[in-house]
Amino acid sequence: MADLLVVDAIGKVYGEGSAATRALADVSFTVAEGEFASIVGQSGSGKSTLLNLIGLLDTPTSGQVLFAGENTTALGRRGRARVRNEGLGFVFQFHYLLPEFSVWENLTMPAQIAGRTVSGEERDRALQTLALLGLEGLERKNANQLSGGQKQRVAIGRALMNRPRLILADEPTGNLDTANTEAVYGLFRTINAELGTTFLIVTHDRAVAQQTDRILEVRDGELVQDVRNDYAG
Amino acid sequence: MLSLKIAARFLKSSPGQSALIIAGIAVGIATQIFVGSLITSLQADLIDAAVGSSPHITLLPGDSASTVPGTLATTASKSEPLVATAIPVRTLSAIYTSGEDSVPLSITGGDATDLGLIYKLEDRMVSGTYRLSAGEALVGTVFAEKYDVGAGDPLELLLPDGTMAEFTVSGVFDLGQATANERVAFVDAASAADALGIADEEYTAIQIQLTDVFASTEVADRLGNDNDVTAVDWQAENAELLSGLAAQSGSSIMIQVFVLIAVALGIASTLAISAVQKTRQIGILKAIGMGDGAAGRIFAWQAALLGAGGTLGGIALGYGLIWGFSFAPVPFSIRPEPTFIAISAGIGITVALLSSIIPARSTSRLDPIEVIQNG
Repeated sequence: MADLLVVDAIGKVYGEGSAATRALADVSFTVAEGEFASIVGQSGSGKSTLLNLIGLLDTPTSGQVLFAGENTTALGRRGRARVRNEGLGFVFQFHYLLPEFSVWENLTMPAQIAGRTVSGEERDRALQTLALLGLEGLERKNANQLSGGQKQRVAIGRALMNRPRLILADEPTGNLDTANTEAVYGLFRTINAELGTTFLIVTHDRAVAQQTDRILEVRDGELVQDVRNDYAG
Repeated sequence: MLSLKIAARFLKSSPGQSALIIAGIAVGIATQIFVGSLITSLQADLIDAAVGSSPHITLLPGDSASTVPGTLATTASKSEPLVATAIPVRTLSAIYTSGEDSVPLSITGGDATDLGLIYKLEDRMVSGTYRLSAGEALVGTVFAEKYDVGAGDPLELLLPDGTMAEFTVSGVFDLGQATANERVAFVDAASAADALGIADEEYTAIQIQLTDVFASTEVADRLGNDNDVTAVDWQAENAELLSGLAAQSGSSIMIQVFVLIAVALGIASTLAISAVQKTRQIGILKAIGMGDGAAGRIFAWQAALLGAGGTLGGIALGYGLIWGFSFAPVPFSIRPEPTFIAISAGIGITVALLSSIIPARSTSRLDPIEVIQNG
């Protein structure tokens, strides 16, 4: 399968001179379309930094990231915002929903940012997403009125709304109980299987990583392991 | 329009904060409207009292002539669009003697209808009839009272050539100024011509009123140069009044500017606080693809909404204050000028938008990673 993501020798250094701290060094790997992979590592190993660089939330000090054949490192702020909106979906440990808006408005926000009116096909897609996430009937509720698990599902729905080719998840179940954790990973698997969406999940929990098809391990800012997991799924 | 929707929602999510700043803007705009309208009306009242019933420009014979042709009034009306009224008059000085008292009178002779246009005499009659038939005269209230003269009484005047002329008082007027009411009298045009010994088509001056009293200097310059006459305008003769009005305007503008600065600072500080409060939301929106421009526009829209709401409230409050002032025991009323109020509204919204520049720029520059990393 074609490479959706090419991470080419990227590094990240915070600060300058004697205060410089290397967070990531010379990391390279590729991710094919449709993969369900995880990045594991201890706290402070650089795995979240790596995800932020891939997600164009941060810029690398060296190297480049190619997404769908486009060198995103060379893009300006506007181009990066476009790729984040159209090609990527984010799920963080904290849900990051907008408390001033309803579930429906949060869910459809990426489509509205893209300039699309939420009607017709767009509306059907949002309704399908709600159904897929088991959130039917909650559309009008304010984001603050939901339980932790529901909020995280809305955040997943928002990440799916623009049908991105790559979903980046950073400890997506870190704040959830066991039942909700299993439900979320079940959802990820379903989305991966039904929509062909590529997943890259950052976790410090090896048990979680064992559920993915490929495990990349980051230690002290370096990629130290990249293995297939034939026991997942 | 997503930026507008988000801006409205942000404002709605902090109703107390939004209401306070809208009230602040409203008070500022209301103050501006009230103070501006008060000063404008006061000045209009003063100007009307000073020159509303007198000529704004007087055209006098040039160096080489002793009279001006009556046709000059028509010429002036046609050549200058700002001329509202131009009438030919004959002016002379005369002395009225009563027993041992004698008083100089400034006599203006002209057609009754013409004189009415400049001096608004018809509305200013306090007794008798507004009429200037041959041999009739109109005198002021102070003169009439001082010398016990009324409608129907004879009025004997000593003319400059030493002869006596007799008139009959047809009415008594009140020009609103004690000096004018004592020293000014009007007679018919033909009697004035006889007294001056000039022909029917000759006049001593053309008196002019303009639609814009402050254009008098330039119009007088043009009329004087174009017609070879001496043009005297009211501004040259009322320098003290004008400097008083200018000082009043200056202080009014200062008050309005400082009020607007206070409004601008209020909006800017509220938006700056709002920008900090909503940093997380802005970071999230940027993380899911909102551009810098759209994010910045959220605060511009917030400012516009606050400005519009505050301005509308300010206009209503301003009208309320003006209405309340109508009950105050003062000799003039405030007339709100729609153009001034529209300008105030425009300034209010513009100030609000300018106040959003700093928070909008800081929001534009915000990197989503700052929010994501810091939780």
